[in-house]
Amino acid sequence: MSSDTSVLDVSHLDAGYGELQVLSDVDLRVDPGEYVAVVGPNGAGKSTAMKAVFGLADRLDGSITFEGTDITALPPEAVIREGMSYVPQSGNVFPSLTVAENLRLGAYILDDPPEERREAVFERFPVLAERLDESAGTLSGGQQQMLAMGCALVLDPELLLLDEPSAGLAPDLVDEMFDRIDAINEGGTAVLMVEQNAKEALRRCDRGYVLAQGENRYEGSGDDLLDDEEVRRQFLGG
Amino acid sequence: MGLAQNVVFGLVTGSYIAIAAIGFTLIYGIVNMINFAYGEFITIGAFVGILASGTLSLPLPIAALVAMVGGGLVSLVLARGFFTPINHTGPVPLLLTSIGLGLALRNAVRLVAGRGARYFDTSATTYRFEGLPDLPVGSVDLLGNLFVTSLQLVVVGSAVAVFLLLYTLLTRTDVGIAMRALADDEDLARVRGIDTQRVRDSVWMLAGVLAGLAGVLIGIQTNVSAGIGFSFVLQILAAAILGGAGSPYGAIAGSYVIGLVLALSTAFLPSGMTGISSAIAFLVLVIVLLVKPSGIAGREVREA
Repeated sequence: MSSDTSVLDVSHLDAGYGELQVLSDVDLRVDPGEYVAVVGPNGAGKSTAMKAVFGLADRLDGSITFEGTDITALPPEAVIREGMSYVPQSGNVFPSLTVAENLRLGAYILDDPPEERREAVFERFPVLAERLDESAGTLSGGQQQMLAMGCALVLDPELLLLDEPSAGLAPDLVDEMFDRIDAINEGGTAVLMVEQNAKEALRRCDRGYVLAQGENRYEGSGDDLLDDEEVRRQFLGG
Repeated sequence: MGLAQNVVFGLVTGSYIAIAAIGFTLIYGIVNMINFAYGEFITIGAFVGILASGTLSLPLPIAALVAMVGGGLVSLVLARGFFTPINHTGPVPLLLTSIGLGLALRNAVRLVAGRGARYFDTSATTYRFEGLPDLPVGSVDLLGNLFVTSLQLVVVGSAVAVFLLLYTLLTRTDVGIAMRALADDEDLARVRGIDTQRVRDSVWMLAGVLAGLAGVLIGIQTNVSAGIGFSFVLQILAAAILGGAGSPYGAIAGSYVIGLVLALSTAFLPSGMTGISSAIAFLVLVIVLLVKPSGIAGREVREA
């Protein structure tokens, strides 16, 4: 256990939606500046794990600690104030709001959002600066994903939760998206990413978890998991 | 009386319906409920205005402000008491609760205030435009002599002020942008750190403020009685749906369509048939919905 030093420590977590339990006894850990990927088949509970950490799914048992603070009972609107941002897989921008309004709500919890944070987002995603007054619903899938990340990064979070960032992107944009995530992580932000594209995610991350049927199956460095015979056979298609 | 005069009447009616319909449609879009008690919010606002101007002898603009504050508080308290606790149960229980609450409030007001009509103590200046050509087409005069009263100008002017302030609120302030965000996606609003209950409370306040203003404006045009708000609730509903339920700008457009249809059908239907002018307004609603189910400004209703 390293709850003293880790950014996020999920311990023995049971979670789900009302009566429906999806996760049982899940452990996840993210150390400062670390890039952690969670992979596994459809329905493994990967997205539920993210939602449970952020407070959008019901935590039934276990504990979630963020930078030493117990956040197990906190709703999303409180979790974000602890210094963690979450980019959902779909519905991650407000389609009828403009790009500028979306970014403004990204910094909603700050009384006086520093202008340089917005500038930093534009530096990372220049296309957003060009389309400030357009409604987010008119952006392409890739641009919406950038806007969603921009909204999360405006807060300069300690930890960024990404749910399937490559989902729905054209194949040639997937690599670009992973490069951007690498860059965010190299800037010092810890990343916890759920990904369907398991091979690419494990290749990029520092450490990975394999989740199946709502339980931890394997844990290790990305390279070790990629090399593991069992993981390859069961989860990476040989 | 020519067409032009009736257009004036229609714009006045459309103006107070629009103020109320904005409040109604914001509740629909953001709290996700059809609030049938909204007519009673208007009635209560109108009576607060009558109290302030009659009993307390406050000047009319101040009385209107008192009615707006009163309407906002009453709306928030009623919402907290009756709607917020069952917010999670979905639109149908909320609708039924609002019908029951409206019935109870209507009769409570009747019990306290009696059946009679009250009047605002107003003095109006009438501006007459005489000597205008009639421009007759068949039996209808397109122009003709017309008059506008200062009270009518107050109603239309208040509506325009409300539209501008509403636009500013919804596009320039954090709480206004958060309201629109909540209408888009409640989960994402929470992920952004928005306290959704506080935003809903603000929406209830705003809707009540608008109901209070609408109540006073209807009151100075006609009179104030226990059933005054209820008599408008179907027209407000029609205007909101016509404009695209949940869209405040659509509700404004819908309100003027309803106002004009009411005025023109009253004026130009054969004398025995003027009673069906509201029916004509609903006929317009049905036709619009058949042609464009999402309303004038609306997103697809199915997606909502």
